[in-house]
Amino acid sequence: MAAELPRLPEQLPTSKVRYVGKEVKRVEDPALVSGTTEFIDNLTLPNMLHCAILRSPHPHARIVKVDASAAEAMEGVVAVLTPEDVKRWANAVVTSPPGWGTHCLAIDKALFVGEPVAAVAATSRHLAEDACELIEVEYEILPSVGTATAALEADAPVLWEEHGTNIIQQRTYSWGEVDRVFAEADHVVTNSFRWNRCGANPTETFGCVCQWDLTDNSLTCHGAYQVPGFWGLARSMSLNLPANKVKVISHPQGGAFGGKGGARGTDIAALLSRKAGGLPVKYIEDRMEYLLAGASQSWDRHYDASLALKADGTITGFKVKLLDDQGATTETYATISVAKPLAAFTGNYRIEAAQYDTTLVVTNRAPAAPYRGYGPPPHFLVLENLVDMAARKLAMDPAELRRINYIRPEQFPYTIPSGNEYDSGNYEAVLDKVLRLADYAALRKEQAAARAAGRLVGISVANTVEPGVFDWNAYATVGVQGVGVPEGARVSVDILGNITVVVGFNLQGQGQFTVAAQVVADYFGADMNSVKVTMASTDLAPPHFGQGGSRLGVAITGAVLGACQKLEADFRRLVAHLMGGVPVEQIELMDGRFRMKANPTVGMSLAEVAGVMLGRSDLLPPGMEPNPTATSVWTAPGRNMPDDQGRCRSYLTAANAAHVVMVEVDRQTGRTEILKYFIVDDCGTRLNPATVEGQIQGAVAQGVGAALLEEYVYDAQANPLVTTFVDYLMPTIHEVPITQRDFVVTPSPVTPLGAKGCGEGAIHTTPAAVICAINDALAPLGIEVTETPASPMRVWKLLQQAGAAG
Amino acid sequence: MTAKQHTTVTVNGRVYQRDVEPRLTLADFLRHELHLGGTHVGCEHGVCGACTVLINGRAAHSCLTLAVQADGAEVTTVEGLKNRETGQLHPIQQAFVDAHGLQCGFCTPGFLMTTLELLRDNPEPSDEEIKEALGGNLCRCTGYESIMASVQLAARRLRESGGV
Repeated sequence: MAAELPRLPEQLPTSKVRYVGKEVKRVEDPALVSGTTEFIDNLTLPNMLHCAILRSPHPHARIVKVDASAAEAMEGVVAVLTPEDVKRWANAVVTSPPGWGTHCLAIDKALFVGEPVAAVAATSRHLAEDACELIEVEYEILPSVGTATAALEADAPVLWEEHGTNIIQQRTYSWGEVDRVFAEADHVVTNSFRWNRCGANPTETFGCVCQWDLTDNSLTCHGAYQVPGFWGLARSMSLNLPANKVKVISHPQGGAFGGKGGARGTDIAALLSRKAGGLPVKYIEDRMEYLLAGASQSWDRHYDASLALKADGTITGFKVKLLDDQGATTETYATISVAKPLAAFTGNYRIEAAQYDTTLVVTNRAPAAPYRGYGPPPHFLVLENLVDMAARKLAMDPAELRRINYIRPEQFPYTIPSGNEYDSGNYEAVLDKVLRLADYAALRKEQAAARAAGRLVGISVANTVEPGVFDWNAYATVGVQGVGVPEGARVSVDILGNITVVVGFNLQGQGQFTVAAQVVADYFGADMNSVKVTMASTDLAPPHFGQGGSRLGVAITGAVLGACQKLEADFRRLVAHLMGGVPVEQIELMDGRFRMKANPTVGMSLAEVAGVMLGRSDLLPPGMEPNPTATSVWTAPGRNMPDDQGRCRSYLTAANAAHVVMVEVDRQTGRTEILKYFIVDDCGTRLNPATVEGQIQGAVAQGVGAALLEEYVYDAQANPLVTTFVDYLMPTIHEVPITQRDFVVTPSPVTPLGAKGCGEGAIHTTPAAVICAINDALAPLGIEVTETPASPMRVWKLLQQAGAAG
Repeated sequence: MTAKQHTTVTVNGRVYQRDVEPRLTLADFLRHELHLGGTHVGCEHGVCGACTVLINGRAAHSCLTLAVQADGAEVTTVEGLKNRETGQLHPIQQAFVDAHGLQCGFCTPGFLMTTLELLRDNPEPSDEEIKEALGGNLCRCTGYESIMASVQLAARRLRESGGV
């Protein structure tokens, strides 16, 4: 990397920062509220066909025969894709760890309900769906594995015969002297937890339009792709194409929150296009397909965990045993969600030793997928509930028990036992602020009065660390190798001084185009509305990843700043030359003017410099190209390869937050109502405070959904019982509390402008905070919730057991 | 397949005549026959509200309405909100921009149309009335707080400027 990037907004070359750190209107929004943004289903190509997919109705079945002849003969049908085609033309998708990936259509065996078995391309979606009904599939139904515990039974059916086991990976990480700290502990609290599947559910499902060029043998995929280059690379591997013959054009996405981009859907549409002589094929996943088999289901977990404490409340050890149901395959990188907690295993606390015993299994449920937070939210639910259990055991206030165990401000950078280094933080300041905001003492009084009146009112104080700016090294233990996640930006100035920023990803909701415009506008003293931010397809884009891992805001800031610095260096060199060959050090950029340091009234505007560069080659210094364009690719500095226990500097930033929640549980129904909700967070410099606030409140909604409502329910044979939004309970405006918020700013010392990753935010803390609050409400009855979602039925059953229900 | 039916629908003030299959939903008709892509489809079973349009002034799920049912009706979609002369955003659209009432924006057209109906019926809604009106629209991004603020801002501006 070239010059040092500005560490704080005040270091930008401007006397008054106009945009960075300010609540600015998003450049994305006018088109979105007008309904003119081109989401993928709005794209129509000439002669485009429409795809419908026939899916397995069985959780586990051998496919004896697929007869597509009647469908092929139907008017309007152009191509039918069968497992035979896929066997001939495609590979199983690449997975992590390797060897557990399926093809886009089930080959020989279907492993879950909803797995594609055949597909049709026709002149309309209606006709394609009609044709699917004409395809005859003969199945031999096999016994299925319904749960993770069933997968481990000695006589369990084996799903992947070539592996001979349902266990994908079994691994124990041990950090520090775990046995000793537990042996020497004055108190050990232990509990089991069950986190049931929930998931992303963006309002827009996946969709794509794929076209196979039979002359060039190349593929173009338009679609709702969250990480375009990555998806393109994966398609080249699954479809046997050179990577430079796969072009991905990412469209704006109607939310993602995890794995937006369908491997199966894309491969099916691509192969149908190939079979249809190269006509473009559109596939739009419907909501039922998404809920059955899309990248929608995450974190199917059984935990047994313990916390070791000294008599004074010092937490010394944390042990976690995790049994994780990955579903039928590992193709969507959900395995990573098991490894990610290493980046913040011990949360906000100084805990000297820890252990993580993990078992990942396959079952006949749908393949698990990434979801916002990518693993730590359930992990923190476990940790925070154990801390509350310990507080009850020691008769300490839960806020105070947390406080005495915090990593202290002067200890940063702080290396946690699982190896990651937290960059900065001030947890006590965050805690104090949220306790003041909530008027914690008054809340406790209110609770005491409610309890005296027989009401089940509970309060929680929960805090977590949000690992920000992901790096591949965090996931090396599940088979994804590599260090660094390049993110590029290309900044150009045209002959009239207009600025264009080209990035490799498209809109998804977090406002990164706005951030890029803010940064470049402040750097060059331009009006933000004159900056154009645009996405390039993968054949033209700089190296990129896109959204994921609470990273892109920081990464794109770094890339844009890097490109601006390169441009600035060229422009200063040109201006120095034009000023009669003064040393370049005598020229500075300030407020959009390249001026003489000694005489600031003498200088040139950005438009003048770019104009000369592009329009007056006779005036350029020797060797200077007429190219006011610069590309910079950012990756987090200082990352390293993990050791044999997975320890490395992985996520660059450690944002944190503390939540105070007050709930009431209804004795009659078991229903939980959130009465009050307070949040203080610290994600360093807030590049656009309105966006940060939106991320927090939005993540609260998803956290409330996970804690109280959302669940993919299966029967014992792995048949899904949830297939619509009538059964999968999405939080509405009635369920999501409007939170009261404040913040602390501890700028990151290691990122451009001091920002920390904050895109996943409150989903780390909200499930823990809500469940802890319910358990505080239930504590007088001697019962506790250890399973999510804490639905009325689950809580009512507990109340019945305690004889406390109405 | 059944025989196509002749259907006449007025959308955003313009009359369209098409022969459509009886099974074609109004959402698909608007999006794919009339190329008005601003009405989005999120669930196709009447829960998420992204496809909300006004039919004869009342909010309706266009995914649960057949195009033939709209024969003779006046339909308003998100494309009908902007000022046709000036291209200026409708005050409700502007309020959503100003109060950050959207993130990905996919559900937004549905919220805008529901809000339009609400504020026509009730120019000064309470928080509870806003919640009641928007209870059938799902937003996965915002957590609803900024949407509430947008509706309140729109209501205030519309009251000040003399109505929807």
